[in-house]
Amino acid sequence: MKSSTKLLRLWRINKAFLSRSQISILIKLATLSLFCLMVATSIGSYEIPLLQIMLGDAQLLQQIVLIEIRLPRVILSALVGAGLGVAGASLQGLFRNPLADPGLIGVSAGAALGAALFIVVGSGVTTGFIAGVFLLPIAAILGASFVIIMLYLLTQGFGHQGVTYMLLVGIAVNAIASVAIGILTFVSTDAELRGLMFWTMGSFGGVTWPVLLPAIFIILIAIFYLLPSARQLDIIQLGEPEAYRLGVNIKKLKYRIIFSSATAVGASVALSGMIGFVGLVVPHLARLIGGVNHNYLLPASALMGASLMITADLISRLVIQPAELPVGLITSAIGSPFFLWLIFRLRRP
Amino acid sequence: MTICTKEIFLSINGVEILKNVSLEINEGEILTILGPNGAGKSTIVNVLSGDITPQNGHTYYDERPIDSISIQERAFTRSVMSQIQPIVFDFSVKAIIQMGWLDRGYAAYSNDYEDAINKVIRECEVQDLVDRNFTHLSGGEQRRVCFARALLQLWRPSNSKEPRYLFLDEPTANLDLAHEIKILNLIKSKAEEGVGIVMVLHDLNLANRFSHRVVILKKGEVVGYGKPEVVLSEELLSSTYGLPINIDITSNIITYY
Repeated sequence: MKSSTKLLRLWRINKAFLSRSQISILIKLATLSLFCLMVATSIGSYEIPLLQIMLGDAQLLQQIVLIEIRLPRVILSALVGAGLGVAGASLQGLFRNPLADPGLIGVSAGAALGAALFIVVGSGVTTGFIAGVFLLPIAAILGASFVIIMLYLLTQGFGHQGVTYMLLVGIAVNAIASVAIGILTFVSTDAELRGLMFWTMGSFGGVTWPVLLPAIFIILIAIFYLLPSARQLDIIQLGEPEAYRLGVNIKKLKYRIIFSSATAVGASVALSGMIGFVGLVVPHLARLIGGVNHNYLLPASALMGASLMITADLISRLVIQPAELPVGLITSAIGSPFFLWLIFRLRRP
Repeated sequence: MTICTKEIFLSINGVEILKNVSLEINEGEILTILGPNGAGKSTIVNVLSGDITPQNGHTYYDERPIDSISIQERAFTRSVMSQIQPIVFDFSVKAIIQMGWLDRGYAAYSNDYEDAINKVIRECEVQDLVDRNFTHLSGGEQRRVCFARALLQLWRPSNSKEPRYLFLDEPTANLDLAHEIKILNLIKSKAEEGVGIVMVLHDLNLANRFSHRVVILKKGEVVGYGKPEVVLSEELLSSTYGLPINIDITSNIITYY
């Protein structure tokens, strides 16, 4: 009861700091994600006429493809996009660093390594079915948390040079993880450990409801746990000492951001591999169209991330039908030039 | 309410920063901290605001040790303005000022928000800056905006009797002459409203003119504490700064060059 009134109060405060134009942008973004969701559900190597299905006038095959294959895939891509978007925005806020993308700084790689290690080493331990479904994302979440905490400790020590060191650590962690995953995929005969391509480039293919449901649960909790920190993320931009004087419990905020972002990224990576640049591109686009305050930025990044990821997955399914491009290839194709542009922009005083 | 420190000893990395510092600040009073670089002036501000816990001695808000006061309640009682860190994202000036509007203040006086922020913007004369990007402002302009933020944090309805304190670490740094005097007059008028003020200044004449009491620090120790006309003597100032300092008796102007 107490926590629910507290949440309600936090929500009211957050709403008060949204401008009218930002609210209208959020509504437009929500509409866009819904539109993307509908389109992506109906288009593919097998066309599903949504209208006919809603009217109950569809063939059995169409229904099966929709419910068992298409829908879980589109929902997963939306969730992963939303999770990576919010995680990117929150990490950028916490680190006060516009280049903090879960992929670039090695958080996704940590998660992938955690997941791959669990599949190879730990799958024998898995007993119950339910536990197994949760244990894989948890292993990934642990991997991601480890990397974020390490980054935080490292960049603290380096003060204002933190930006550079964060990216360098990211390069190192990415390299370590890709070597380890590479070895694991070649050594392992386990059919469960998917190909190297899956981990490094990502894919939403082949997802099923039993795996998807816990992921929906985990990612949504992470997102909703991050949203109320918006105002504190704004205030921390003044610097940690200043935020502390304004009554922000820095330690609590750090834990909240670090573990929620790790959870969102970890669960995403466990199910769909590493998909780069979404956490970088999405928050920046959201800032460009609507502003930098996190009350707006966090939900906008979630909605925009969902739309972008659904679209990227749709493209990956359509370009070389009936085969598929890895979805990470598409996000990287969009993201890497954007990253370069950002670096050039940062170089300006 | 009275804020006081009792017998503060503080060392950082084995270096003694503060030695036996006891101070007291009352509501409506301006206490100015003077002293050479490295004397521990900013550290005292940090101890008073509760950022640093000294090895020995305590800061008390009335009889309550500061450790027993939640950081939210501290923020509601005192606001601090010190050197700012560079801001990375493109926040508008208004958004920066808004950060002084605490959640607790919001809960208590949500309807007064527009009035409060407009009053603060008017008082600090930052109307022309409000819609600009904070990172594009000059150092002095940024300072004035931060001062506005600190004032918004202390805004209360006019009938409020809640204690308020303002801690300012070099509030006039980077300001031109006109803005320096304006901000000091504003600080004075805040003191007249009942806000207790602690500020670190370098300009001895301004300290002399605007403070009710001054404290002079040298190497972490209090070497002078009391009314400026009593404490600010040629002898004490000269020995503190290691520089011949003269005070003109008729005009009461301090010169050192």
